[in-house]
Amino acid sequence: MLNIEHFFILGILLFSIGIVGMVSRRNIFIMYMSIELMLNAVNLILVALSHHYADLNGQVMAIMIIAIAAAEASIFLALFVMLFKNARSLDANFFELLKQEKHND
Amino acid sequence: MLSLTIFIILALLALVSASVMIYVKQPINAALSFIVTLLSIAGLFALLGGGFLFLVQIIIYAGAVITLILFIIMFLNIKDENLPVEPFKVRWIIAMTLLVAPFSAILISTVHSMNFKPLYLENFGSIKDIGMELFTEWVLPFEMVSILLLIALIGVVILAKREEEHA
Repeated sequence: MLNIEHFFILGILLFSIGIVGMVSRRNIFIMYMSIELMLNAVNLILVALSHHYADLNGQVMAIMIIAIAAAEASIFLALFVMLFKNARSLDANFFELLKQEKHND
Repeated sequence: MLSLTIFIILALLALVSASVMIYVKQPINAALSFIVTLLSIAGLFALLGGGFLFLVQIIIYAGAVITLILFIIMFLNIKDENLPVEPFKVRWIIAMTLLVAPFSAILISTVHSMNFKPLYLENFGSIKDIGMELFTEWVLPFEMVSILLLIALIGVVILAKREEEHA
């Protein structure tokens, strides 16, 4: 029988996959999509809890998270376009401009 | 029993396509694989009685965010030499999986020990109920999100404009 526990386990696994992708890859697009994956895992758990307690606040919170993720997407992609125009690379290790002056051209 | 079958199919789709998404080299393949993850999560929302969230997930995530990502990837005209060289990618992924797995196992065993009752799937959370909730209890956060979207819009315009001044 379907249980809320299944949804929790799926959300935990998706969140872990997101963390693994965020830390171990250096392509900024894939890092960004890993962040979105973690947000979606949290949304899934919120909606599952909302169904379990028959309380709509969880679904409204998930809608708020989706709206904030949309705002985040626009900022991220504008930044990616700028960084790619400056560096011609998608490597996250390349963007250490705040660290020291050694990459300053 | 039907709902369990649907859940297993959607969960496997989501997990496999998420794993493919963090593994592939080309960002466009990752974005296409991520669409599958988002659509299966949308299906899970529908399974949980969130019809409005199902629509919002498909329209905003799969329809707007991923389309924007695909558009930017095509617009940047990314060649192979622009991609980062990742010789130790597989080793990093295996090491991080081994590092994260114990925490996931602890969380899963905690959830397992909570003994939830089985779900009875009924239709709750219609669009009208969500609208009533959103415009009575959640009015202030709703307006703040609209201000946040406006600030994001202005920020994007300023970022793009500053780039033009440099060139």
